[in-house]
Amino acid sequence: MMEFIAEMDLVYKIGISVAFIAILISFAAMIREKDDIHKLIIVDLIELTGLVVVALIATDLAEALILPGLVVGIAEMMAVSELWLAKEGLQRLPTPQRADIEVLHTAPKIIGALLIAYGIFLTGFTGGLIAGLGLALFFLGKNTNEQFLASETASGYAWALWVMGFLIFFLFPSQWFFALMLAAVGIMIKVMAKIALVGTMRGDES
Amino acid sequence: MMEEILVTIPFGDMVHYLSEYTIVLFAFAAIFVILAVISLPEKPVDIAFGTDGYTLKETPANLMKFQRFMAIACGIATMGAVMTGDIFNFTLFAAFIGVLNIGIVAAVKNKHVLSAAFSYGLVVMMGTVPLFSGAAIIVATTGTLSIWELAVSGGVPVIAKLLLLIGVLGEGMAPFYIGKAEITRASGAPYILMIHVSSLLLFLRLVEILLTV
Repeated sequence: MMEFIAEMDLVYKIGISVAFIAILISFAAMIREKDDIHKLIIVDLIELTGLVVVALIATDLAEALILPGLVVGIAEMMAVSELWLAKEGLQRLPTPQRADIEVLHTAPKIIGALLIAYGIFLTGFTGGLIAGLGLALFFLGKNTNEQFLASETASGYAWALWVMGFLIFFLFPSQWFFALMLAAVGIMIKVMAKIALVGTMRGDES
Repeated sequence: MMEEILVTIPFGDMVHYLSEYTIVLFAFAAIFVILAVISLPEKPVDIAFGTDGYTLKETPANLMKFQRFMAIACGIATMGAVMTGDIFNFTLFAAFIGVLNIGIVAAVKNKHVLSAAFSYGLVVMMGTVPLFSGAAIIVATTGTLSIWELAVSGGVPVIAKLLLLIGVLGEGMAPFYIGKAEITRASGAPYILMIHVSSLLLFLRLVEILLTV
């Protein structure tokens, strides 16, 4: 165990030196850059170098620390980029463009239904992805504005299912199978709703 | 039953650090959250020069609601930052305060204010690097993030303390940038106060942490 830590130490030292060189390079780039949008991109790079230092802890804790760090970083990135858009007066959304291909008027219903059925059969994350693709294809083919409220509501209920599954894991560990099924179905619906939105909300005013 | 549940789910890293000092800071932040909840935005006065006439600038309701929400959230994040007993949580709260400070002024439709907030946003994002690096180096060298344990064992490298200090300097720099919002008389006066409060309390807590560990 001791020699393992000693070895870790050397690796850690090398890693932290490399990380700090990267930090210095990225900050130097930040100083030299004058254009706002390029600054924004470089600042994202700078944040990643911070996460590298966190990752060098190299235990389970590192993962637990990277995730919130990443979330905060992305939140800041989104806030600052929205600010940049407002500052430059670029917040107008592009006009929607929809694919108008003849085969898409008929085929998606069948293929979409098949994909959704297969996704429900799979459950879990993969199932949600496939079912979501099916829904996206269906909406794409229908060439209309759908009510997204329904899929958002379903997403909310799915989240509740997932949390319930999570709680059952902790409170009644003997019921693990039920909890697993709740979580699997929940995440399936959740991913499906998200993917469906990704497929249909491009350029939409909503 | 309830006790059993609380025992089964420990609150993990949600360690609080209660001392007379942090309680005072917490109460201070809490007072300003309450002020943000109950107060109405001021109406900046424009005087027509050479006459007795003046006009009051009304704050639009949606801008007011957004700023109030951001100010309250910023106050709550400040309360978290001054109370937490975990260094990584402290850095997260500090970064969070940075985002919320941007949010307080972001809704103001004034190019000068927006570009000041943009510059501050870049500084906030750069500030997270030394913040997280400091916390990461602390956990890598001492094996813990708890301020309680670090206060007993010590051994925090000076470089980690310096990094934390630089990080909080970046996050707490808001008043220098936000000054522009006040100089240009942008609306939302009681809520912009929260920026100063959060920055001040963040520095005060950091000093306490650096002296303790």
